[in-house]
Amino acid sequence: MSTPQIEIQLIAVVVAIACAIPGVFLVLRKMALISDAISHSILPGIVLGFLITHDLNSPILILFAAIFGVITVVLVEAIQKTGLVKEDTAIGLVFPVLFSIGVLLIAKNANDVHLDIDAVLLGELAFAPFDRLLIGDQDFGPKSLWVMGTILISTCVLLFLFFKELKVSTFDAGLSSALGFSPIVLHYGLMSISSITVVGAFDAVGAILVVALMIAPAAAAYLLTSNLKKMLFLSILFGIISALGGYWLAHFLDASISGSITTILGVLFLIVYLTAPKKGLISVLIMHKQQKKEVMLLTFMLHLNNHSETTERHINHLNEHINWQKIKSKEILDLALKNNLILINNEIVSLTDKGQEFTNLAIDYIVTNTDEKIEHMKDDFFLFRG
Amino acid sequence: MRKIFLVIIVLSFFSCKENEKKSGKIKVVTTTTMITDLVSIIGGDAIEVNGLMGAGVDPHLYKASEGDVTKLFEADIIFYNGLHLEGKLVEVFQKMKQKKQIALANNLPSDKLIGSEYFASNYDPHVWFDISFFKLFAEQVTHTLISEDPKNKLLFIENSEEFIEKLNELENKLTQLINQLPEEKRILVTAHDAFNYFGASFGFQVVGLQGLSTATEAGVQDVQRLSEFIITNKVKAIFVESSVPKKTIEALTEAVKSKGYQVEIGGSLYSDALGNKGTLEGTYLGMYEHNVTTIVNALK
Repeated sequence: MSTPQIEIQLIAVVVAIACAIPGVFLVLRKMALISDAISHSILPGIVLGFLITHDLNSPILILFAAIFGVITVVLVEAIQKTGLVKEDTAIGLVFPVLFSIGVLLIAKNANDVHLDIDAVLLGELAFAPFDRLLIGDQDFGPKSLWVMGTILISTCVLLFLFFKELKVSTFDAGLSSALGFSPIVLHYGLMSISSITVVGAFDAVGAILVVALMIAPAAAAYLLTSNLKKMLFLSILFGIISALGGYWLAHFLDASISGSITTILGVLFLIVYLTAPKKGLISVLIMHKQQKKEVMLLTFMLHLNNHSETTERHINHLNEHINWQKIKSKEILDLALKNNLILINNEIVSLTDKGQEFTNLAIDYIVTNTDEKIEHMKDDFFLFRG
Repeated sequence: MRKIFLVIIVLSFFSCKENEKKSGKIKVVTTTTMITDLVSIIGGDAIEVNGLMGAGVDPHLYKASEGDVTKLFEADIIFYNGLHLEGKLVEVFQKMKQKKQIALANNLPSDKLIGSEYFASNYDPHVWFDISFFKLFAEQVTHTLISEDPKNKLLFIENSEEFIEKLNELENKLTQLINQLPEEKRILVTAHDAFNYFGASFGFQVVGLQGLSTATEAGVQDVQRLSEFIITNKVKAIFVESSVPKKTIEALTEAVKSKGYQVEIGGSLYSDALGNKGTLEGTYLGMYEHNVTTIVNALK
């Protein structure tokens, strides 16, 4: 591996981790798309920075970009607080306006300069190793590695210091203010960090990849766990896997690195979506099947409960009567037997005490339709369900 | 997590660049296919040429692939067009201070360049369509290669002279072809303004639908204005380009049709990139001949 290859992977991994951490909180707060919004709404910041410095390469432009990132967040928050529109609508209202202000500023003041977001923020991971930090003659490695490294370390320090507060304010803003730490301050702190991360990462790897790195790992982790610490850990892990996997995919295909990383992120999410133990598509389908079985069992028990005459309760009669296929009725019969809900005497089925209790509860539930009853039943009777 | 940082910090110190030069052939990176073709011809087997942009790639919209990183990293010399044809890519080159970089078009006599309000450099960058400029490209490439690899001086000069001879032959051939067209029929309508230098060299009036940069799209007004122009000048055919989507030019034929005049698509021209490698259109000479034959046949 040549030096730039190692450096690109290093930058990709650092950016992936730096994006994954705020990404988790954004996904949990249902504000994931703010990262995309910020990548557009920083344009007026860049234009203002340029009008002040008249230099496309000045770091002030990036500083102004980050400030406009925070302004985006403040405005989104303000609109959302009116309660008239939802989070996503608020985001959709704010960033096109800010972006257009940027476009108008260019048209009015800087039409003769090639000025757009791309002109200031490099946004190409492949070229990141060529933009180096030089002090005197000393080469200190790629600039974006230092920028993103600093952002990552600051994010982590803040995360360790305020983990408890962030956790409480993310899940229960009311409790958070009752405990004495303002959810608003934490919220803006988090959003500012996200904004700075987006701008920094934008310069290092490009817009689409930043959005993907913020949302996909966190969304995949969210399907796997509801524990915040585990979710953070998994997001970081997914971020790193995609960064490295994507790089090597690009290597073998000789294709765009950012594109490959984004593809891996998508595939990773798809795999998690299909196979996640609880929320995944496959386990949801299995659960549906189990529920169907439970309903059939219930129907069967109610039937037994309604008929005291033996003809109605004869094994062979059951499948005609309730109109089940033979295999299905056998399956339900076995299930009921296994759970000690029925007794079979001379091919006549009858309810046990437990079965009777179960049926009564079920009728109770059907009549009252309150959830507590069914919850309790699940614990007591349905041993096969998680 | 703290361990990860440590690893990163340690690694970033290791990543400081060591500048080793491998023995053997000098490595050259080029941008557009025209320059790649030129440098390969002059350098011959004495150098290794790696072109970044493939056939049919629009230089304004080029995206780097993973392999390009290594090519650039290992390069001794970079030849590129300049005049903002390659956009942001040049800024990346400029950051690689230790590499020799030649912006071929930037060294042309600026009083002979065609001005353009669309481009940041204020000059139209599609200079390779002026064959005399392409000869100057060849000279620059030869000088640069000689200074980098003096022991192959004779080979480079020989290749260069041979190529310039071929360019002269091409020029004669093209002039003969174009002389078949009466002057009032020498109107070239294409998707974007890539052919101004061609027009200036051979007395064509060149009209582009899109302006210089392929990134901007043609507006409805442009289409209307140009369709009027086609009808008043009785233009027989208009042309699509290999590196620009056909859609806009098709929209133009429809607009002309709706006004009761028939204009056909005269064929596909190579503008910002050559044809596929290995074909005749994959070389500068073949490309130019193809373009002119297509134009002349369609307008005749």
